[in-house]
Amino acid sequence: MTRHLPRWRPAYSLLLAALASLPAFAQLDFTGEWAPLYHEDGPERLPGPELGDYTELPINAAARMAGDTYDADRISVVPEYQCRPHGGDYSMRGLGNLRIWREIDQASEKLVAFHTHLLAWDSERTVWMDGRPHPPDWAPHTWQGFSTGVWEGNMLTITTTHLKTNYMRRNGIPRSDKAVFTEHWTRHGDYLTVVTVIEDPVYLTEPLVRSDNWFLDPGQNIGVFGCEYAPEVPRPEGTVPNHLSGRNPFLHEFANWYGLPYEATRGGAETLYPEYQKKIANEYHPPDHCERYCKCTSLFDCNLNSK
Amino acid sequence: MQDFAGRYIMKLNRKGNVKRNPMKRTLLFLVVAAASVLSTQVKVYAHHSFAATYFEDQEVKIEGKLVQFLYRNPHSFVHVEAPDDKGMMQTWAVEWGAGGQLSRDGVTRESLKPGDMVVVTGNPGRNPDDHRIRMRSITRPSDGWNWKGVVQ
Repeated sequence: MTRHLPRWRPAYSLLLAALASLPAFAQLDFTGEWAPLYHEDGPERLPGPELGDYTELPINAAARMAGDTYDADRISVVPEYQCRPHGGDYSMRGLGNLRIWREIDQASEKLVAFHTHLLAWDSERTVWMDGRPHPPDWAPHTWQGFSTGVWEGNMLTITTTHLKTNYMRRNGIPRSDKAVFTEHWTRHGDYLTVVTVIEDPVYLTEPLVRSDNWFLDPGQNIGVFGCEYAPEVPRPEGTVPNHLSGRNPFLHEFANWYGLPYEATRGGAETLYPEYQKKIANEYHPPDHCERYCKCTSLFDCNLNSK
Repeated sequence: MQDFAGRYIMKLNRKGNVKRNPMKRTLLFLVVAAASVLSTQVKVYAHHSFAATYFEDQEVKIEGKLVQFLYRNPHSFVHVEAPDDKGMMQTWAVEWGAGGQLSRDGVTRESLKPGDMVVVTGNPGRNPDDHRIRMRSITRPSDGWNWKGVVQ
């Protein structure tokens, strides 16, 4: 007996083949000029973190020691640090205006990469979208690292490796060159939300999750940064400002200012979770009224005495 | 030619033809242009933590001779020869804004010259041996030139 294919089968197969060749409709274009919003973590991102503030960071003892022995004068006194850029991960804390654009292959009209340019240190990064693999572990590391992206619906997930040693917070908490940096970009209208995850086997016991927001600013003109080395704070050649272990006199300031138990300011995974609030409930004595960084939502109002 | 601004202010005249309002169009253009200019002014890169570098809740004042003006990124610096609280002459390193920030405030490379006598106020650095200050204000009494603001 001769069996015939249902009539709809060939048409259905043709339709599937046609759909497979179409670009994914869920992909978004992030192209544009983006200005950072600072309603999240404003004091840390703008004027900078206070010494000894390791809250929100799932750090280990090694990271804590690096922070405790850190002297911020290092950035001025050591010439090599003056123009050291933020790493590709720290840059996405919104510490400068951002431009994103696409690279499209002319022959296939397929998306090859997204590119980013940040004001700070004129940093540029390529996010490869063509499925290429990351280089081997021993490949050179750079300030911006090596990034690849994949679509998850209309969210872009970016994985960055090969980042040079840098920092997670600008009070001495380091980020190693073994870290993997993951970002989730979501565009909703004229807003870009970036959720970031740092996994660092050297300094973190758990992933560090943060988020930042940007808004589309077509009138933005980033300009040139152009860092220049100069004798900012002259000290004898070879000086590297630091505090010997156990000798930093400033580590209790943060706890005292905000009425926190000292141990709570030392970071660590336990301190990230709601249960920790119950643990320190009897030891937390906040000031009667706000005295520091009381208002901090933008560049123009985030100062120590802003009210 | 119809442009973005014109699209929303076209009216029909009595004959049913499109009529444009030049004055409203000009006003709308100026508003959009002003917004674009203002939006380009918000730039920040937060180089290092000021709280980690300075005693932000303290203020010092020095008066002396400017010996160097570094107008640059990431931060401009002025170096001033002035006595410390013990009367010993020191060279103070006063951290100022980035070149971009200062230019928006009307400060240029030519605003200050070595030899100018200046009065500086600001937050002292955490290491007293550095004789370091984060600028809050600078005044040149000879002609009243001054700057006051927040270094970012």
